[in-house]
Amino acid sequence: MPMQRFRRSCVMLVSASLISLGLQAPAAAGIVGTSDAIAAVQQQNDRAVVRDVLARSDVRARMIGMGVDPAEVEGRLAALTDAELATLADNIGQAPAGGDSALAIIGIVFVVLLILELTGTIDIFKKT
Amino acid sequence: MIRAALPTAALLVGLAGCAASPPLARGIPLELSRALELRDTPFFPQEDYQCGPAALATVLQASGIAVEPTALAPQVYLPKRRGSLQAELIGATRRHGRLAYQLPGTGQALLAELSEGRPVLLLQNLRVKALPVWHYAVLVGYDADRNVAVLRSGRHERLEMRWQSFARSWDRAGRWAISALAPGVIPAGAEASRYLEAAAGVEAAGDRRAATLAYDAAIARWPEEPVAWLGRGNVAYGDRDLAAAADAYARAATLAPDNAAVRNNLAQVLAEAGCMMESRRQLERAAALGAGSALAPVIEATRAEIEADARPGATQCVLADRHWPD
Repeated sequence: MPMQRFRRSCVMLVSASLISLGLQAPAAAGIVGTSDAIAAVQQQNDRAVVRDVLARSDVRARMIGMGVDPAEVEGRLAALTDAELATLADNIGQAPAGGDSALAIIGIVFVVLLILELTGTIDIFKKT
Repeated sequence: MIRAALPTAALLVGLAGCAASPPLARGIPLELSRALELRDTPFFPQEDYQCGPAALATVLQASGIAVEPTALAPQVYLPKRRGSLQAELIGATRRHGRLAYQLPGTGQALLAELSEGRPVLLLQNLRVKALPVWHYAVLVGYDADRNVAVLRSGRHERLEMRWQSFARSWDRAGRWAISALAPGVIPAGAEASRYLEAAAGVEAAGDRRAATLAYDAAIARWPEEPVAWLGRGNVAYGDRDLAAAADAYARAATLAPDNAAVRNNLAQVLAEAGCMMESRRQLERAAALGAGSALAPVIEATRAEIEADARPGATQCVLADRHWPD
């Protein structure tokens, strides 16, 4: 009986400490979420499967470092699956960050014209 | 004649494939109507670097969610990267009660979404692979006779791009495209695995209502799909409906007897329902199936919790009338 109580307190202590680390609140310790189950079947990288506290705190720190308002970070993390968090922990600095306007198209047209001009293929930039 | 035409055809096919495989079709796929434009799609001119929030607001509003780019920017914009990440656009879609369904990388899939009235949020690389310029835009239409794609893009309310240029820019960005689905709506040609990943995403984000609608629709469409039943079990468990959860897990286990996660969840629910003998049996199966996998520590944690909660002699199985899968 005292043993059981001891184990129970251990489980509660561990749960409480995990939650205080900002763990995505799982329905219960014993339930595997559907996205984790899919990741397990697909054998994605192991960090993706188990609720990875490190990946989460890692991404949190890097988001704040990249200028995200700390008050917004928890909401952003909570919207992601464990697999997405594990991926972000690896590539938040390099993953495509869409931001530029379509004006960049003009840029590439200009570069192509410039190259053609310099190689003498065309002559549209009039020289005096 | 035919012999002369063959090398030309082979050359065209070769040119069509940039780096990705299988190669993207060159022209506008013509299985659907020759032209289509979702003219009512809203438009938000982009502020500097804010094409992510603008494009996301466009598809969310088109799906019936009243949200402005200024409200989305704090949810997706990453200041030091001067842009928004794909994962965060997906996350923000979930936060607004929509499933982010990732489309297969074919022009056909893009046009099929348009034909069902949904504009498509997609990533473009406006430069070359080595020096990428990432940009989000919304595909709202196409015209095969004029060979153009029609986009809401940046400061352009209606940008026409030559279809091939558009397709190449999308190809260079990994052909990433999502559709914002109201929970319960499944695209006509949807793939079960893609749809269930989107549904699992809203479940992970904690939107049980949306997840329930999505899993119910998935079960109606694909009744033999174990992941749909697993998902239904998970939302039922979240609602504290142990009987419904156990039944759904049992169905999933019947359809996919070797899935360790399903057995683990079934064991957990059975333990909470007081059915200790059956719970331990299912957990044994889970442990055997998940041995050496990333799920092993989770299954061990389940065992610890079940045994910590077990009260000898006080077990009254409230689901004793059921028969559980072997």
